[in-house]
Amino acid sequence: MDTSSPSVFVNAELLRMHVGKKVRAVVHVIQSDGEITTGKSTDEHQLIVKGLPHVSLMSYVEVIGIAESDQSIRTETWTNFGNTFDTQSYNQVCQLANGEFKGLFL
Amino acid sequence: MFSSSQFDATSAFAGGGFSFTQQTQPTDSTPSPAKSRETQGLVPVTVKQISEASQSGDEKSNFVINGVDVANVTVVGMVFEKVGRNTDVAFILDDGTGRMKCRRWMNENFDSIEMEEILDGMYVRVNGHLKSFQGAKQLVAFSVRPVTNFDEVTFHFIDCIHNHLQTKSQGEGLTPTQPQLVDTSLSTPMRNGSNGSQTAPSSQLSGQFSIDGLKSCDQLVLDYLQQPSSIGQEKGIHRDELSRQLKFPVEKIMESIRSLEEEGLIYSTIDEFHYKSTASG
Repeated sequence: MDTSSPSVFVNAELLRMHVGKKVRAVVHVIQSDGEITTGKSTDEHQLIVKGLPHVSLMSYVEVIGIAESDQSIRTETWTNFGNTFDTQSYNQVCQLANGEFKGLFL
Repeated sequence: MFSSSQFDATSAFAGGGFSFTQQTQPTDSTPSPAKSRETQGLVPVTVKQISEASQSGDEKSNFVINGVDVANVTVVGMVFEKVGRNTDVAFILDDGTGRMKCRRWMNENFDSIEMEEILDGMYVRVNGHLKSFQGAKQLVAFSVRPVTNFDEVTFHFIDCIHNHLQTKSQGEGLTPTQPQLVDTSLSTPMRNGSNGSQTAPSSQLSGQFSIDGLKSCDQLVLDYLQQPSSIGQEKGIHRDELSRQLKFPVEKIMESIRSLEEEGLIYSTIDEFHYKSTASG
C-alpha cells in the first residue's frame, strides 16, 4: 500500500496550482508532431504534452506525468481513451477531487 | 468466503463486460441503516480510502471506512507488475490515488482465462475482498475486467464521492428530503444496477420518518386528496396538480400514489393520472 505519489486530477485551470507535481489530465488531441502534442483540456484550454508518441487527431488521451509549467505536462504514462469521452464529467471530477473531496484522492 | 450465491453470478458474468455486481445489494429487506457484511455489496472506493481504513478488531475482522463496515470493494485503476503463478496471480493496482497489492486465486478455469487477458498498463475494474496480511492491506480479487469505455473511469470516481456522501449522511441520521433525487442524475448506461441499489437505502429512511409521525409525501398526498375541495371534484385530482401544489417532483408523487393505492386509500378515476380518496370526507 503506497499513497506517496498520487497523480492529481487536473484541467488547464488546476494545472497551474500543481506545477512540478505528478498530475493526470485528459486532452483532446488537436495536433501531434512527434515530441510535442497539442491538445484541448477538459475545460477548453490549450495544453502542451511532451513525450507522447504520434496519436491520431481528435482522439482523447489521458496523460499522467509531471507538470512542467502551467500549460505543459511531461508524459510518464499515457492511455488512449478513444474517440468519445465525456469531458464535462471528467472536468467536474477534477474540480471535486481538488476541492470538497480532496481527502478521497490526495 | 464466497458463501453467497450472488458472488458466483458476479464472477461468472464479469468477463462478458457487464456489471451485475451492484445488483447483489438487497438492502430492501433490512430497514435499519446499519449495514452488516452480508447485505452490503460492492463499495466503490479509491486506494487512498482503503489506505485510511481501520480494522474493527484483529486481522480477521472487517475494515471500516467512513464508519461503515466494508468487506467487498470495487476499484478502477491500472495494472502493474503482474506476476502469474500456478496458484494465483498477483499485481499492483494504481488508481492515481495510491498503489496496492492485489491477488487473484486460481480456483477455476475461468480465473486463469480472465487473468490471461490482463496486461501491465491496462485500465481494469477490480472487484474483491479487503484483507489484511502481515500488517499490509491487500485486495483479494474475484473479478478483474478490462475497461473498454473510459467514461467508466470518470464514473468510478464520481461513484466513490457519491458513496462517501451517502454513508457520511446516513451516519449523521439525515432528513431524507430532495437529496435522494441526485441519484438519478448520476446514472450512466452501464451502471443502472448500481443506481437502483443506491436509492434503496434512502427511501427506507423516508418510510421510517413517517412512522415517527412526521409528514411524509404519502401523508401529504392523502391529506390533499381528502380535502373537501378535492372530494368535491368528480374527476379526482391530476397528479401534476399534486406535484405543483405539494412541491414534490412527479416521480415522488407517483411513488406515493402507488403505495396509497395499494393500501386502498385512493383510487384512479378517468385515467391513470387522476386520483380520488376512497374516504367520503
